[in-house]
Amino acid sequence: MNIADIITVTRKEWLEFRDQLLRLRRGGLSAVIVLLMLGIVTPLQMGPLWLQSPLMLAYWPLLSSGMVSTLIADAFAGERERHTLETLLATRLSDTSILLGKVLAAIMYGLLFTTANIVVGVVTLSIAHKGIQAPPAAHTGYMLLLVTLACSTLAGIGVFISLKAATVRQAQQTLGIIMMVLFIGPVLFVQFLDSEDRMSMAGRLASLGTARLVGWASAVLFAASCVLMLMAMARFKRGKLTLD
Amino acid sequence: MTTLAIEARDLVRDFGSVRALDHLSFDVPAGIVFGFLGPNGAGKTTAIRTFLGLVEPTSGSARVFGFDTKSEGDRVRERAGALLEHHGLYERLTAEQNLEFAGRVWHMPAGERRARIRELLDQFGLWDRREDAVGKWSRGMKQKLAVARTVFHRPPLVFLDEPTAGLDPVASAALREDLASLATGQGVTIFLTTHNLVEAERLCDLVGVIRRGQLAALGPPSSLQPNDPGLVRVVGTGIDASVASAASTMPGILHATVEDGALEVKLADGVRPAELVAMLVARGVGIDEVRRQRQTLEEAFLELVNDNAGRSGNGGSA
Repeated sequence: MNIADIITVTRKEWLEFRDQLLRLRRGGLSAVIVLLMLGIVTPLQMGPLWLQSPLMLAYWPLLSSGMVSTLIADAFAGERERHTLETLLATRLSDTSILLGKVLAAIMYGLLFTTANIVVGVVTLSIAHKGIQAPPAAHTGYMLLLVTLACSTLAGIGVFISLKAATVRQAQQTLGIIMMVLFIGPVLFVQFLDSEDRMSMAGRLASLGTARLVGWASAVLFAASCVLMLMAMARFKRGKLTLD
Repeated sequence: MTTLAIEARDLVRDFGSVRALDHLSFDVPAGIVFGFLGPNGAGKTTAIRTFLGLVEPTSGSARVFGFDTKSEGDRVRERAGALLEHHGLYERLTAEQNLEFAGRVWHMPAGERRARIRELLDQFGLWDRREDAVGKWSRGMKQKLAVARTVFHRPPLVFLDEPTAGLDPVASAALREDLASLATGQGVTIFLTTHNLVEAERLCDLVGVIRRGQLAALGPPSSLQPNDPGLVRVVGTGIDASVASAASTMPGILHATVEDGALEVKLADGVRPAELVAMLVARGVGIDEVRRQRQTLEEAFLELVNDNAGRSGNGGSA
């Protein structure tokens, strides 16, 4: 594994994505709409609570990983669709560098998306409520940690799917279904519990405290990212990718 | 002792029931332009993919600069540049960004990258369009840029799959010159597939013809053509059936016919056309031109790929 090679691949992905963003294509337009909604409209509706609500610790990781899905589906399926994959595989870049370079680009996008929203939100609130209101440092730290891990988990799933998918559309559809199951599954699970169990579960979670809750969530997401990356590495076979 | 860039030994590659490479064996010496000719589906692309370590052979082996392509593919790719079936350019990026990426991939220092970008874009007449996204370019311009990207890091071995496809005649000729100078001036080995037989004839030091995964012929372009098939064409006035009939009775002449007002004669081995010319002059034929007909590389190629028996067994060291 060569760090310079990973950065080279990440840089290339970013240059391509920047073009998409500037032309408001694919993920670009949705990023701008979401930025307007979440960076301006939502802070205005919620007021200063927007900066410190514990709900935001789940809200931003979910949203940013959703945004990452638009980028990561393109990782290999897009290269295959645009006939650039074989040329990339014929370079001296190692399997790990190509894979991690693409995953890193996706994670950075998720982080940038969240950071941009928070900055725009803080500015919006400062204008609306006269005076800059900085978000609590620990809360922001937790949020960025969870965003990073949620994005890396989704990037792991996405890259695994993108390696196999024939087209970007196919990769996005598969990823969309998986995300729906991941996001809606826990909600459905809670709804199927009777009210007593629901209260008991809420109580137990509340008793853990924010720091411990974030710790557990981070550990789960980190383990999932590692497993998914190992699975993607196992699936990355130059010969198979060349012939697919 | 000749250094070998590529050594293929009994190379077999099966895709299910289809045999793409069928006991392919040949050597490519370093520093030459090797032309790999064959009809569509003959196995040219599979051979290139195998040499680059992208596809593993079912049996047999291939070595590039001594490295086994199956177990040391990464070392092979470090030493090669490849322009494959598709140009492989990132169309959302500019020409500069595409070449910059290539330079970074091969760890070229920033100053060297900048100088090389300028040098190659100037050489291919693309400098003025360097900041345009490649997706807006014509096919020919993209092809030129793809060639520039392939040789960007000065690899000792370059694989080019149909490099002049989509280029205008002037650009094709210029590219051929560039490729020839790469091989002669810088000692780069060029492995070229092409359907343009004139290109192969002009550019290649050695030509291999592949048919159904087997090597049908291997040698210098001139060796694929019979030097003297014994065909002579005489253009002039007064040529008619009686002249052809008289010619066909002469010793050493196998047959003579009139085609489009010209006399076409097949001479026996070793017979020179001087006596034929003397007889024609004596019969009052006004001769404008006497030309020995040479088989072109294209004709030799078609003969090879259409011939059921082929000329197999010519494989081996070149």
